[in-house]
Amino acid sequence: MRAFRTFGLVVFAASSLWAQDVIKIGAVMPLTGKESKIGGAYKVATEYAVKEVNDAGGLQVGKKKMKVELLLLDDTTDPSKSAQLVEQLINQNKVDAIIGGYASHLVQAQSVVPERYHVPYVTGGAGASAIYGRSKWVFGVLSPVEKLAETQMDFLSDLQKSKKLKTPLKIVLLKENTEHGRDFEKGVKDYAKAHPKQFSVILDESFELNAADFHPLLSRVENARGDVFMCDAHLEDYIAMHRTYTQMGLRHDMVTYGARGADDAARKALGPATDYVFASGWWSALLPYPQVKAFNEKWQKAVGSAPQWYHAAAYETARSLFTAIRNAGSLNKEAVRNALAKVDLKDSILPGGELKFSPTGEAVLPFVVTQNKPGGKLDLVWPRAAKTGDPVAPIPK
Amino acid sequence: MISVLLNTLLAAGLYATMAYGLAIIYGVMRIINLAHAGVMMLGAYAAYALFSRFGLDPFVGLVVVAPLFFVFGVLMYAAVGRRIAGAGATPSIESLLVLFGVWLVLQNFAYVVWTGDTQSILTGYTMKSIKVAGVRLGVPSVLVFLASVGSLIFLNVLLKRTYLGKAIRAVTQNRDAALLSGVNAGRISAIAFGLGSAFAGIAGAMLATLMAFTPDFGRSFLLKAFCIIVLGGMESVTGVALGALVLAALENGLAAYTSVPTSLQDAVSFALLFIALVAFPQGLPSLFARFERRAAIR
Repeated sequence: MRAFRTFGLVVFAASSLWAQDVIKIGAVMPLTGKESKIGGAYKVATEYAVKEVNDAGGLQVGKKKMKVELLLLDDTTDPSKSAQLVEQLINQNKVDAIIGGYASHLVQAQSVVPERYHVPYVTGGAGASAIYGRSKWVFGVLSPVEKLAETQMDFLSDLQKSKKLKTPLKIVLLKENTEHGRDFEKGVKDYAKAHPKQFSVILDESFELNAADFHPLLSRVENARGDVFMCDAHLEDYIAMHRTYTQMGLRHDMVTYGARGADDAARKALGPATDYVFASGWWSALLPYPQVKAFNEKWQKAVGSAPQWYHAAAYETARSLFTAIRNAGSLNKEAVRNALAKVDLKDSILPGGELKFSPTGEAVLPFVVTQNKPGGKLDLVWPRAAKTGDPVAPIPK
Repeated sequence: MISVLLNTLLAAGLYATMAYGLAIIYGVMRIINLAHAGVMMLGAYAAYALFSRFGLDPFVGLVVVAPLFFVFGVLMYAAVGRRIAGAGATPSIESLLVLFGVWLVLQNFAYVVWTGDTQSILTGYTMKSIKVAGVRLGVPSVLVFLASVGSLIFLNVLLKRTYLGKAIRAVTQNRDAALLSGVNAGRISAIAFGLGSAFAGIAGAMLATLMAFTPDFGRSFLLKAFCIIVLGGMESVTGVALGALVLAALENGLAAYTSVPTSLQDAVSFALLFIALVAFPQGLPSLFARFERRAAIR
């Protein structure tokens, strides 16, 4: 019996030693279901970042070089399952840290678990401010949606200063009835309030996701007679709404659907009606930084297609976590969490070229603004220093 | 005023199109077909496939979609519907659960086949509009409205002028009496399921000309369609059209003449559903009949 117990202890000790050679990273993403398209892209980019580290021999943790083992689970775009799988990764798989998934509602569900078990958690797929600041264990790479709206207002303000747009501008503001939409609304309204001589919000309305008929809402937009049309919408609503907008013959000096605009699916669905729509994004392959060019090339070579913003966000999410583990010099969860709080990626591919987290755990990075041009062309028009073309304003009649 | 009126008519056409299929199946089988949204979604993808593979216009493609989904509906009845068909006055919980399961299966089937990518149909007239009495109306919305009116006429002729229609109405009104009269209720139920599915497929195909879609398509329309059939009386297609008109008028009227936020559109639907269930559970036709009876007594 004693021999058996000794044998067991030896096996346990050996397996513990073996486990120390691998960094276990858990990830929960929507690989099936409604968010599977972007969730799948997050998976590809996360796996790519892990492969890159492992191909280089692993991650230097203290005196050891350790390989990264990625345990990636599919939450089927179900928030309750998403949270449950994060819990499973922590309790059963004993992961050292978690990479969160995509879509604010799924991340919101996941984000309560790290606090419960004191496990470092970093996500690249949620920009809703409500997720952050509640737990010291939760970090996010996507800049808040409020900042997105603020960037768009900065862009419009710059167009006013260059006399391309008139001053003051009357804004009609529409937003989806979600956390994302409310953050967008707050960003626009706060900016307008701070710049009353430049902007006024003359209509502020919300709509439910996947609305069947946008006529009643757009009739109000028509009657409001605003100068700028600012809307925060998901892709399906952007397409349905802009079809109705075009059919109704509406026209504004500038039109935006928040983060939507340059999507291939929208350009395919709307044709030339998307020309001159401007959009803000968390990243663009057009950014003129050398590290972005290098990333574009290696991504194209490895994956065979051009990277999108979600690839860049997921890649930088994994990289920020790896950097934190390396800086912590151990897999101690508190040490990794503290290192995450101090992360400063000075070679980041994200806008601004530097990634660090604010005290609430949310990265606050500038957004880029792109504008669709005729013939399927897309230009980066903001920030000015990075622009690939001049913004067209007002939209030609 | 004219603008509100015309937009109400177009929206009513759209809403009625979503609801016909649900009403037919409920009327005959006393089943709330929760798979209705899934069948609409498949209809959208069928139109997309016909358009992208064969260049077939979605409205022309209805001649393929309608029979295809009729057969699909009959097969669905044979596989699922006949096992849960209730002769009672209220739908059984089993039927709700099974059809909800069918919806999930259809949805996941679509995710496997078409992935979660957003799809859409862009025809030469998608972004075009025509002017009617000075009001610009989207061409696809006008076509959906015309198709909806055509569907209403077709269903009324079918139900009132043909033997099949009379048999369907007989089963709708009193299944046991219809059985005693020699009507093959099983066969009629299969046809009703086929018809309901055909109209769901047609609705999906037409909605695909108005909006983008994913395998999740149809979820929000199901609730609206349900409100409409409760409002219109669950067994009458004319009532459905009337219910759709009332709902559309309320939504457009509130947006045009009040400051009630348009985000409360769905709340309007549900408030209406609640009022209908409490005040006139048999729908608007029964309410009108009640008024007529009172007028006759006076």
